[in-house]
Amino acid sequence: MTETAIDSIPTPALAEPRPRVSGSLSDDAELIAACRRGEARAMEMLYHQFKRRVFGMAHRIVGPNDAEEVAQEVFVRVFRGLAAFRGDAALSTWIYRLTVNASLSHLARRGRRQEVHTSDESLAELAAPPETSRDPGLASRIEAALQALPPGYRAILVLHDVEGLSHEECATILECRVGTCKSQLHKARARMRELLGPIGERS
Amino acid sequence: MTCDDVRAKLTAYLDGELEDDRGSAIRGHLRGCDACRHMAADEAALRDGLRSLPPLDPPNALWAGIQRRLAAEEVADSDRPAWRRALARFAARWRPLAPQLALGSAALAVAVVVLAVHHRVGTIDEPQVAIAPPVLPKVAPPAPPIAPAPTIDGDVTAELADDAANRTASYRQAAEELVSTCMTARASWTDDRKAVFDAKLAGFRKSAATANGRARDKVYRDMRSYLQGVAIRDEVTANDRRLAGTRGLP
Repeated sequence: MTETAIDSIPTPALAEPRPRVSGSLSDDAELIAACRRGEARAMEMLYHQFKRRVFGMAHRIVGPNDAEEVAQEVFVRVFRGLAAFRGDAALSTWIYRLTVNASLSHLARRGRRQEVHTSDESLAELAAPPETSRDPGLASRIEAALQALPPGYRAILVLHDVEGLSHEECATILECRVGTCKSQLHKARARMRELLGPIGERS
Repeated sequence: MTCDDVRAKLTAYLDGELEDDRGSAIRGHLRGCDACRHMAADEAALRDGLRSLPPLDPPNALWAGIQRRLAAEEVADSDRPAWRRALARFAARWRPLAPQLALGSAALAVAVVVLAVHHRVGTIDEPQVAIAPPVLPKVAPPAPPIAPAPTIDGDVTAELADDAANRTASYRQAAEELVSTCMTARASWTDDRKAVFDAKLAGFRKSAATANGRARDKVYRDMRSYLQGVAIRDEVTANDRRLAGTRGLP
């Protein structure tokens, strides 16, 4: 067994979550109260606070063509549903749950209308070996590989890896146990590795 | 540690979820196993690649589209009847509790069935049942033929019997007062009307004599209602006659 240099061993890296979009609990409560009263400025503020994450999640789960439609549906549900929002979870968690549910429902409806097939050629393109260790086209290949995954795997990868949410938050959003969330993430990453082929540094 | 052990824990290891000793064992394996190290390198690159995907900006038209949809929903709200909006509010408020409510309803239904069956069994096999079926308190024993047992302070049964007797007496008194009022008016009635009234009154008296307790109270209440109607009708008729006389009408 040959020893490998210390710096070539893949090491753990804690997620650096994207900046939280939800303010403090009291800020959330004030914003929710103002939106319930129908104050236009508060509604616009809430939209701008969450628009990137809602649109980004929808885009990566349902794909670019339907993302705007789904994001619109989510925000309409958010504003219409704020009256019944009980505050059991954080506002952001509730909105992400609506986003994931709307996206998965949209895919289910679309799936009934037309089956989306990923051709072998496109999978081969995804798995093209990187020319350099820092593959400049990796981001676009990852985006394309995401679209080839089953929707459930897509959702957990987007929530945990792209958006940097914790397993506890992901479990709340997906309404499953933390253990289920972890095992789904493990399987989703394994499937992505299969689709993308070797992308890591070789030593 | 085998390759399978390492691969099963790779995601948790790379996400920093393993404690030191287990992470150390995985790192030790990766140093000596090219296949696992390459797999770990791929997964680490994938993890980093996913984390560094850029945020996506929605198109500018999104907000306008949301506002249009909300406006359309509000117009639909105003066209909807108030009761349907109230129903929707009620449903929205209680929907999160639906599972608990369903469970509670099911438990209540089971409890009702169990009690009903238990009560039925108790009625059929009364001597064999250990727990006696619930007995309603007996009230108003009519004129006991023997002297009642001496009551002590706080004897609830005796108090209830006294209350029931007083209640019956007050119903009878009210009815009898109305009888005397109606008998005064009866003098001016036609023979047919007198016959109808007498028959009705005799019927009430007979029923009161044969009934006991609450049944007798009910007879007196019905009798009182009938007599009130008669008295009022008679009063109205007399008033009409007075008015007709005043105005010179027939």
